[in-house]
Amino acid sequence: MWQRFTLWYRAWDQEQLAVLACPALAEAMPAGYRRVFAIKLAQLSDVERQQLAHFSQHYTGRKALLPMAWMALAFSVAGLLLQLALAPDFPIGKALFGANAVGFTCVAIYVGAWFNYRQLDQRLLRVVVLTTLLTILGALLGVGISVLVSDHGLEAELQKIPRTIAIAGLGAITLLAAPMMLITAFRNRQFASLTATLQRDAEQDRLARALSETQLRLLRAQIEPHFLFNTLGAVQQLAEDGAPRAAGLTANLIAFLRASLDEMRSETVALADEFGLIDAYLRVMQVRLGARLRFTLVLPLALEHVRLPSMLLLTLVENAIKHGIEPALRGGEVTVCATQNGAMLSLQVVDTGIGLVDEVVEGTGLANARQRLALAHHGAARLVLAPREDGGTVAEITLPVGA
Amino acid sequence: MTTVLIAEDEPLMRERLVAMLAVAWPEAQVVLVAENGNDAWDGFLEHEPQVVFLDIRMPGLSGLEVAERIGKQAHVVFVTAYDQYAVDAFDAGAVDYILKPVQADRLDKAVARLRDKVQVKPADLGDILHHLKAALPDPPRDKMKWIRASVGRQIRLIDVADVLFFQSDAKYTRVVTTGFEALVRIPLKDLLSGLDPEVFWQIHRGTMVNVNAIAAAERVDAERLQVLLRGHAEKLPVSRSFAHLFRD
Repeated sequence: MWQRFTLWYRAWDQEQLAVLACPALAEAMPAGYRRVFAIKLAQLSDVERQQLAHFSQHYTGRKALLPMAWMALAFSVAGLLLQLALAPDFPIGKALFGANAVGFTCVAIYVGAWFNYRQLDQRLLRVVVLTTLLTILGALLGVGISVLVSDHGLEAELQKIPRTIAIAGLGAITLLAAPMMLITAFRNRQFASLTATLQRDAEQDRLARALSETQLRLLRAQIEPHFLFNTLGAVQQLAEDGAPRAAGLTANLIAFLRASLDEMRSETVALADEFGLIDAYLRVMQVRLGARLRFTLVLPLALEHVRLPSMLLLTLVENAIKHGIEPALRGGEVTVCATQNGAMLSLQVVDTGIGLVDEVVEGTGLANARQRLALAHHGAARLVLAPREDGGTVAEITLPVGA
Repeated sequence: MTTVLIAEDEPLMRERLVAMLAVAWPEAQVVLVAENGNDAWDGFLEHEPQVVFLDIRMPGLSGLEVAERIGKQAHVVFVTAYDQYAVDAFDAGAVDYILKPVQADRLDKAVARLRDKVQVKPADLGDILHHLKAALPDPPRDKMKWIRASVGRQIRLIDVADVLFFQSDAKYTRVVTTGFEALVRIPLKDLLSGLDPEVFWQIHRGTMVNVNAIAAAERVDAERLQVLLRGHAEKLPVSRSFAHLFRD
């Protein structure tokens, strides 16, 4: 009998742990009381389930027995002391049983509240009232039974009713309802702060990921065979001709590589530095593309120190070259300008290249730029791509100044 | 004397290839150095060179598209900075290619092979090109939807689908529709890459015709063909390079 009981208990325990780990299992279980419990477990929030699973795994088997023994001892001592202090002629056995019964009931309810705080929070009042009423009902039932078995007169027992209700109500409120409310409030506050921390961590993770993706992409762009080999080929050709332009091209390539390595290490950059990087890049491309590329950079002095996420603007310029100028038969012009309108900064990259193709598939560069803007400026920044009136493309970033 | 056409969009790379080829293959005659795919194709039709060096990434028609049009009419050598897919396919298909920046020893090897190859007919690269085009990302391209042309004192927007044919007229292009015709100040070769090759067939160096407007092709004599149009009296000559379009 005992063995069957332990087997049953262990099986159920395992099953519940499995449901805690994977709530979808609950739906697949055969109908019955176990399924009802499993579905209740599955309805808990992720955090609650994890906490409960952790608790259940920790306090299982012998490990659960020891604290229970300690609690039984404590309740017994309390019962004994109460009996000695308040009612010396109350039977000791009854006092011990009563103290343990009340104690363990309270513990069960506290543990329940401790792990079910999310759902409890939504119907706390209902549960509190219900608990109190049930306790009173139980007490009245006790009175009813004692009327049947007691040899005191009916009248004497009936006189006890108001007192019983008062004691049971007060007891329920102080021992059950109030602690339940406190536990629920405490645990929910804990939950809120935990969720906030998790969200903040996730946000920071996303930001870090977006940044490192940008870094990787840029690194790839620089060692992209077409960029590097074509540029080195141009250097070689100029050098073999003994053209003084070879030194200039090399200097710009070095400036570009060095500046982008510097920028890669920082999340934000001053506009002056970003424009310096873009200038070096466009000079390299101009030597390579010759008359097919013309460019203008406009950065007002007042905006030189404004900071923005690093390499964002460069991404737009690279796109203008790659998708606008390079594929255009006659090349075109790239204009990069920064302007301030009130509290907003506008950064425009305009090219007169082939323009947006019908089905614009935004590459990872743009998606990444959008994500970093959104994270850095909490949705206050915009990145818009639009066709230019006379052919070509306008890419514009607007973001709050000083944010 | 072997005739050679070079197509490369970056000026310094162009200079480099021309200079190095002059050293590696002094007896080759470079008939044209093209800056983009459209010029390369137009120049090919004009000069009919035996050997063509094609950069793969170029504005307008890509190197692969030009090679496709050339078909078996010339020996093609591709020039590429580095496209792993392309290089793999080249090696598998025994297509000649040179990596950029061009190095002398590599060019010497390619030239040695070409000296032998020009003695025989060019190989058909059709399958390999098909494979390559699938492997490489499509180049960004502006497909033309309408053309702005002045007709008398008006500026008209002509829907490309309404055009019966384009015909080269020196630096201009005649745009002919059922109702009217116009001259645009763009050379035909610049329009090439903006037109859908499935819809507009090139039948002559100077003529692109809308397939939907073709009524028939008829023989003029044993050699020559001409195209008859629906709703237009003009007959358009088909040049030898394009006669295959109308054979069974």
